[in-house]
Amino acid sequence: MTSGEDIAGPDPGLGERLRELEAGEFPADGALMDRMFSELKTECEKSDKSLIGYLRSRSTMARRAIILIVFTGLGVFALLKLPMVEESMRDTSWVGTLIAFLVLLVVAMMVVTRPVHRPELPRWQIVCLVCFAVGATVIAAFIPGSSAHAATHQHASGVMAGICMGFGILLGIPVYAVLRLVDRGNAFGSLVAAAAAGLAGNLLLKAHCAIDTTSHVLLGHASVAVLFVVGLGLVHRLIPSK
Amino acid sequence: MPTSLDASATDEELMDAYIDGDDAAFRLLFERYAPILLRLTRRHLRSEELAEEIVQQTFFRVHGARNDFRRGSKLRPWVMTIAMNLVREHWRRKKRRKVTTLEVETQAAPEAEFMPIEIRQRSQLLHEALEKLPTSQREVVELHWFQERPYAEVAKIVGTSEGAVRVRAHRAYATLKQLLVSEIRGEE
Repeated sequence: MTSGEDIAGPDPGLGERLRELEAGEFPADGALMDRMFSELKTECEKSDKSLIGYLRSRSTMARRAIILIVFTGLGVFALLKLPMVEESMRDTSWVGTLIAFLVLLVVAMMVVTRPVHRPELPRWQIVCLVCFAVGATVIAAFIPGSSAHAATHQHASGVMAGICMGFGILLGIPVYAVLRLVDRGNAFGSLVAAAAAGLAGNLLLKAHCAIDTTSHVLLGHASVAVLFVVGLGLVHRLIPSK
Repeated sequence: MPTSLDASATDEELMDAYIDGDDAAFRLLFERYAPILLRLTRRHLRSEELAEEIVQQTFFRVHGARNDFRRGSKLRPWVMTIAMNLVREHWRRKKRRKVTTLEVETQAAPEAEFMPIEIRQRSQLLHEALEKLPTSQREVVELHWFQERPYAEVAKIVGTSEGAVRVRAHRAYATLKQLLVSEIRGEE
């Protein structure tokens, strides 16, 4: 079947055999095409009428812009409503951690909104991204912080960790929701969106939480990413999407 | 909405018209691509129902992603990539749900009742030979041989280098030769 200069394909013997066997493939009939198209048309019309369908049918640029607007809105809200950590805590490691979270968040967003007409990413790359995302939040707990602050926040660490976890999850939910709303169904989209939600929660907590003891960051911050990834991963495993 | 374009319009012209809101152009595109995709998915999935579903899903995604289509670019690799992604996704989900491969293997190749036994056997033979290839090789053979796509385009569709595609094709054709040609010589 193939012709042209590009062929370094099958030798003539195999080519002939493939042609012969392919003749056994039956053609598609008109009635089948009509039925398939009519079902497809119904699905398309139904999708066009829904908000999700509308958002997902925007161009990739537009979908990414929507996400950035939502992210910026959340960032501005956090900046205005929640106090930032004291200036003494804003050292190089603090800035570095924030940048690392932000970069991973942007990469996750790009992966979720990857156009469907491009070859999907290999599974190992997705797994690496999710591991990096969760791993970064765990590693952040072991980066030495200001010892002065560590000493002042030893009390009620369990309660504080719970509050931080709650805040992190609350912020992660809209991030996850918006990513899923514009996700056209890329492979592992849900898992990457969950990792992004965890990262967003950690970004907020890193910027605003003054407690930087390892136990607190592990229990109150890193747990947000773990919960999102493991929790939503389990949900999707148990309830597979259509 | 009747299209101003006729059957002689190129795929890209039809897609451009569809993006501009010409629904009839979508129908024409479907008529052109659905049979090609149906053959592709039937060979890969060996299930008539699944093949139809994947073809419909492909067009559903084409519809959803139409605003991403760059005017002036080729439509065929665009559509093929979407279809191949869906086929891969299907296999991955199947594996994840731990549905045994036995179920797939025991599914008969799509057959038409009206076909002579000999032709049906040929089709069956082809399906069985293709099934013995690893997925990465099978999709290269599918696109290069059956869909007549050049290696450069196949590489673009499967998301790898042209060199890697050539290697996969070489290995696949060697295996197929062993399975399909040697078998005939053996019979002779």
